[in-house]
Amino acid sequence: MANEYTRVAGKKSSSFTNNPILFIFFNGMLMIFSLSCIFPLIWMFYSSLKEKRVFNADIIGLPKDPTMSNYVNVLTNKDYHIFESVLNSFRTTIISLVLIVLFGFIVGYILARIEFPGNRLIYAIFLMGVLIPIHSLLVPIYVVFNSLDIANKWYTLIIPYVSFALPIAVFLVEGYVKSIPISMEEAAAIDGSSFTRTLFSIIGPMCKPILATVAIIQTFSCWNEFSFALVLIKDVGLQTVPLAMTQFTGQFTSDYPKIMAAMLITMMPIVIFYFIFSRQIIEGMVAGAVKG
Amino acid sequence: MLSAIRPKSRVIFGYLLIPIVFYVFAVFVPLMTAAFFSFFNWKGGPNKTFNGVENYLTLLKDSVFWQSFGHNIYLVVASIIGQIGLAFIFVLIINSKLVKFKGIHRTFGFFPSTIAAVSIGFIWTMIYDYKRGLLNWFLALIGNAEAAKVWLNDEKLVMLLVSIPLVWQWIGYYMVIILSAISSIDKEIFEVSELDGANAVQQALHIIIPLIKNTLLVCVTLCVAGNMKAFDHIWVMTKGGPGNESMVMALYGYNISFAQQNMGYGSAISVGIFIASLLVIAGTQFIVKLVSEKN
Repeated sequence: MANEYTRVAGKKSSSFTNNPILFIFFNGMLMIFSLSCIFPLIWMFYSSLKEKRVFNADIIGLPKDPTMSNYVNVLTNKDYHIFESVLNSFRTTIISLVLIVLFGFIVGYILARIEFPGNRLIYAIFLMGVLIPIHSLLVPIYVVFNSLDIANKWYTLIIPYVSFALPIAVFLVEGYVKSIPISMEEAAAIDGSSFTRTLFSIIGPMCKPILATVAIIQTFSCWNEFSFALVLIKDVGLQTVPLAMTQFTGQFTSDYPKIMAAMLITMMPIVIFYFIFSRQIIEGMVAGAVKG
Repeated sequence: MLSAIRPKSRVIFGYLLIPIVFYVFAVFVPLMTAAFFSFFNWKGGPNKTFNGVENYLTLLKDSVFWQSFGHNIYLVVASIIGQIGLAFIFVLIINSKLVKFKGIHRTFGFFPSTIAAVSIGFIWTMIYDYKRGLLNWFLALIGNAEAAKVWLNDEKLVMLLVSIPLVWQWIGYYMVIILSAISSIDKEIFEVSELDGANAVQQALHIIIPLIKNTLLVCVTLCVAGNMKAFDHIWVMTKGGPGNESMVMALYGYNISFAQQNMGYGSAISVGIFIASLLVIAGTQFIVKLVSEKN
């Protein structure tokens, strides 16, 4: 009986996996989805090599005589500040990342390991940060920053980016440190290593994987952040990449190839970063999302 | 033993001070400020007059605010169904052993979630464009050119049209999260159930969903939090229009505060957004807890 049953079942599942119609349907469905994810990038790339006139006549065809004129135009026109915006984004992202990783590491470690009055209170304050709907701060943060005259400066965006990223960084580090055996620190303390030295030269290297996860998640959120940049930065010379893109909404809406060229230039660093480290990035983002 | 590694209190204090100051300054100070100014009539200039709870009374009767709130909820629901639902189906397909190029699907599918929402908004604006858009080009290609229209001006369709990019952008992200959850399930369970004659649908319903329930609930939480703050791509695509047909809460608060320079009422809206989002997020958390305890 049992034998017969397994045989039938086995047959059923093999006929399922060998069904050519299902094979084509499933593969086709996923292909279409994956293509839709990558096609806009490809379409923008070859369309950005067309002149506006050529693009408007045929939006989908490959360029017959590719031209770099859109790129030259976007990069040489001082009014667009495209190159500056890439630099601004690099500076903001890198400084923010360093501070997020450093602060997240220190606070996460102390909260995980050291008992002192107020430890749980500080933990709760950071826990609240995960729940607070950050976007409700859009207007009030402008009011605060403006009245203290720290809006519209090169360092302005670093303050909210670091602060908003801290709760998640603290939690990831805190959870990770708790999984490290405490005997490491005890041995170090017995050998006479100071707290600071233990923190940075013993615990720091051990936390590398989780710090890398924190850095990966925040690279994308800092580089792509738009709404706070929109509110806090008015000077075109200080705008970050997403902000620089918005100048194309009104005045150049008809010149798509030029917008595409600008978009590709500003997307380039993050796209290259993604396709080189895609495996690590995907793993890091998922780990961060699930544990956070 | 712990005392051996316990540093002096001032060392701890010194290390914690700067991060906490940063954090409190950028998160709690603005919140307090908003709560304070929400009781004033303040048009952005030097004159502020205390007007009690008047801003809040206006907010309760402000149909645009509630319409925006409804649109946020619309996005949440569309995302839970579209992102998590489709991602789950794609994951089942990928796991069915029928599919080739799994790595490529993962890498390509995840890609849009790493791109700025502003760029995604631009790309889809180009797709929906009347004269040069891919959508109308496609309609003409399949001989249905008369269906072409100025898509984002259609009051009835605009919410659907702005939610498509949002859903599309994050499918791959949830797909990868669910994939990694399923890969941690013991393979033997599938083999045994297959021997018992369970088909793919039964496996999905009775084995996979119960076993990765916690991951799915994390996805729902992420979806809710992510969509209550929708702003970027709607700002790019429609600026909330036509009329207020695609307005969301954060964008409305922005418009009132900056376009109309009504900082007092804008602060009240910020508090409103804070409370509304917190209630929705906490409400989902509560339901999530209830669901996970029941089983």
